[in-house]
Amino acid sequence: MSAEGAQVSQAPAYEMALVRVEDVVKHFPIGAGLFGGQVVRAVDGVSFEVRSGETLGLVGESGCGKSTLGRVIAQLQPATSGHVFFKDTDLVSLHGEKLRRMRQQMQMIFQDPYASLNPRMTVGDIIGEPLQNFGISRGKEREKRIHEVMRICGLNPNFIRRYPHEFSGGQRQRIGIARALVLNPTFIVADEPISALDVSIQAQIVNLLEDLQDRFKLTYLFIAHDLSVVRHLSDRVAVMYLGKIVEVADSKEIYLNPLHPYTKALLSSIPIPDPDLEAKREPILLKGEIPSPVNPPTGCRFHTRCPIAQFPKCSEEEPALEDKTPGHRAACHFAGQL
Amino acid sequence: MVHKGETVGIVGESGCGKSVTALSVLRLIPDPGKIVGGHIFFKDREVTRMSAEELREFRGNDVAMIFQDPMTSLNPVLRIGFQIKEAMVAHERFDNNAAEERVVPMLKKVRIPAPKDRAKNYPHQFSGGMRQRAMIAMGLSNEPGLLIADEPTTALDVTVQAQIIELLRDLNREMGTAVVLITHNLAVVASLCTRVIVMYAGRIVEQGPTRQIFYNPQHPYTWSLLQSIPRIDSTQHDKLLTISGLPPDLSNPPPGCLFHPRCRFRVDRCSKQEPPLEEVGPGQDARCWVLMKNALAGAESTS
Amino acid sequence: MWQDAWRRLRRNRLALVGMAIVTILILTAIISAFWTPYPVWIQSLGPTYQGPTAKHLFGLDDSGRDILSRLMGGAQVSMIVGVGTATLSSIIGIVLGLLAGFYRGWVDAVVSLLINIFYGLPDLLIVLLIVAVTQQRGLQNIILAISLTAWLGMARLVRGQTLSLREREFVEAARSVGTRDVHLLIRHIFPNALGPIIVQATFVIPAAILFEAFLSYLGFGVKPPTPSWGAMASEGYRSLQFAPHIILIPAAALCLTLMAFNFMGDGLRDALDPRMRR
Repeated sequence: MSAEGAQVSQAPAYEMALVRVEDVVKHFPIGAGLFGGQVVRAVDGVSFEVRSGETLGLVGESGCGKSTLGRVIAQLQPATSGHVFFKDTDLVSLHGEKLRRMRQQMQMIFQDPYASLNPRMTVGDIIGEPLQNFGISRGKEREKRIHEVMRICGLNPNFIRRYPHEFSGGQRQRIGIARALVLNPTFIVADEPISALDVSIQAQIVNLLEDLQDRFKLTYLFIAHDLSVVRHLSDRVAVMYLGKIVEVADSKEIYLNPLHPYTKALLSSIPIPDPDLEAKREPILLKGEIPSPVNPPTGCRFHTRCPIAQFPKCSEEEPALEDKTPGHRAACHFAGQL
Repeated sequence: MVHKGETVGIVGESGCGKSVTALSVLRLIPDPGKIVGGHIFFKDREVTRMSAEELREFRGNDVAMIFQDPMTSLNPVLRIGFQIKEAMVAHERFDNNAAEERVVPMLKKVRIPAPKDRAKNYPHQFSGGMRQRAMIAMGLSNEPGLLIADEPTTALDVTVQAQIIELLRDLNREMGTAVVLITHNLAVVASLCTRVIVMYAGRIVEQGPTRQIFYNPQHPYTWSLLQSIPRIDSTQHDKLLTISGLPPDLSNPPPGCLFHPRCRFRVDRCSKQEPPLEEVGPGQDARCWVLMKNALAGAESTS
Repeated sequence: MWQDAWRRLRRNRLALVGMAIVTILILTAIISAFWTPYPVWIQSLGPTYQGPTAKHLFGLDDSGRDILSRLMGGAQVSMIVGVGTATLSSIIGIVLGLLAGFYRGWVDAVVSLLINIFYGLPDLLIVLLIVAVTQQRGLQNIILAISLTAWLGMARLVRGQTLSLREREFVEAARSVGTRDVHLLIRHIFPNALGPIIVQATFVIPAAILFEAFLSYLGFGVKPPTPSWGAMASEGYRSLQFAPHIILIPAAALCLTLMAFNFMGDGLRDALDPRMRR
């Protein structure tokens, strides 16, 4: 049995953690020089788990580090420190060929359907590349598999020799999804997969992702800034602010009973397409701006903008992310008091 | 049509023509596009017929516009205070000194903290939200009758978006400036606007008071759009209703109603004749042969 | 992509003219390998320094050789040197550029150092050194020598392209599906840098041709009696006063060829410019 310390939520024993992120830190140095080199603390000590078969939504505003965290988990960026356990292997300790082999099980869907596809490759080559990389199937058999996965993603297999620029944004995103699917992965990191799409297409892709999850028993880490979509798609939600996770809970729970003041402010700012409701709502407006990740505030990072911050506790002591109620973690000294 | 002091939202997806419509009001359409028909009136003057000199008077003075990406609309090498002052001086409503005096109060009005210091900053020293506020300050500095905001919050975080929407709402109330908000985000419209215009493929397909559009949409596109947006406060987890297919290619449009290939309620007539924009409720118009009230009352919706 | 480029190219008149001339040049070069009106080395076909006549359309040179035939032979030399240099220098430049741009670090440091060293040395010096050291004046040597100065431009270009392409999302995506580095370079980075590479290579050709002509003019080019436009010009310099055709004709041919390649290169650059794509 692995000891997970104080950060274990009382999950039912059968929901095994597929991916376990432990104290992951990612800093980016800025400016040249060894002297006084500053770092951007994009991800500054994050721990959570993603349970097998669930969708964990990771939300936050720009600069919170969620995209960086996604890339570090997917091992597209090396972690500055920390561990990412996939099943029981620490991905951070893998290099070269071993790491490459792991990629068969863990795939990524990217945000920009225009930039994430090689404009000089045909759709068939793009989707078939993963198969080629791992020497899986050849010739007719490979083509069959590509056709199959195209159909599953709602693409017409006849278009297999077309180029990305001949497709619309939504279709290109489907190509990206097909590419992620072709190796039969167990875990998919989806980095803002619908943000760049039109509203009416977003729903199509959301439904597709849901179908795929049911069909292939996938586990998703769904990164987005649109809380409404995340709420719809996710089983649990983690909220990030300035490189740290501030709250983790079931998606229903986090909406009905947000404990962290940032989460509460975030939720209150999200517009609802309901005029009467909107007329009654008062968004909690946060004062100030998001601080720079180069120089995050001391103590609780949110204290500079928090409506209920109390000094000196909030500016000196960083709150730990711990269970406030079973299954609901928050990093706040005064959780639930806003 | 926009009435004095009103807030109107124009919604639609990319390519539906909402931005182009707004740009037309200011006659800012880039070549090779041009206005080929119809009229645009402001108060009682015809914008479509204005001379270059009159247009210069008109823009920024009677109607101001702010855009999605404030970084590209602000001159990166000029201080913010200077740019705001310039907007006023250019229209000769205030001389140099008077304009200078108005800058800081303007910044204060748009809730930029430490306005005196901030006026000396350059655009890159402002965050996205603050830049947008600076744009609003510039736009409102000449007290125009109308402010057109083209996707002002699309590039901003949700908390900043809420602040900007609040700001627009308050400014509309205080200064009586009419606001036209162009966006693809229906929810934002629900919070700010009293009237909504829904556009699809270059046409207005529905318009009316906000409550009616949201609670009683008559055009299938509006209805489907509302059904396909996930809501943060939804209690059930239903599958989102999708609109199949893609927006039409306007160089080769479908016959009849432009939405009919994607419409689940279409009838025969829809593919033959384009419906006119007609009144379907108090102050509400829709461009549809079927209308939702009939579609939902009678038949089952075909999935 | 290529069809778009072709369409755009067709609209560029100057480029088309350039391409036509280049085509004629290539044909001439090929034909001259099998046939010329008179063998290029036969002397005393008529009175020396004779101007253009019906039998000898471009006249005879100072040894009585047929200028037209030698012009055709010179075309062959020019084309071989031009294309050969472009090919060799491109291969060197592309490989080094890809490696430097992709791996950065010490690989880039070494390649950049090499580029800067070669850049600082005068091209002529390098070429003369190589020719002198190897004691050979065959075409291969000349191609090798010129290539060693021409690879810089391509390496720099490809390095720059690689540096920016490696950050693109589709390269990241390819890595995420398990693509090995070598395939990232071959399948993803190289094909997307092809546009500027082709343009660069096209401009190497006239530069190499000019260089060779210059060498031959100085007497360091191909060994006589193999005709080279530069050598022909050199021979004709002395008789400029009374038999100008001997220098003017090869000089004109050289001029025309260089212009043709440059127009073609410009046209290609505009046609392949990604900003103009769709």
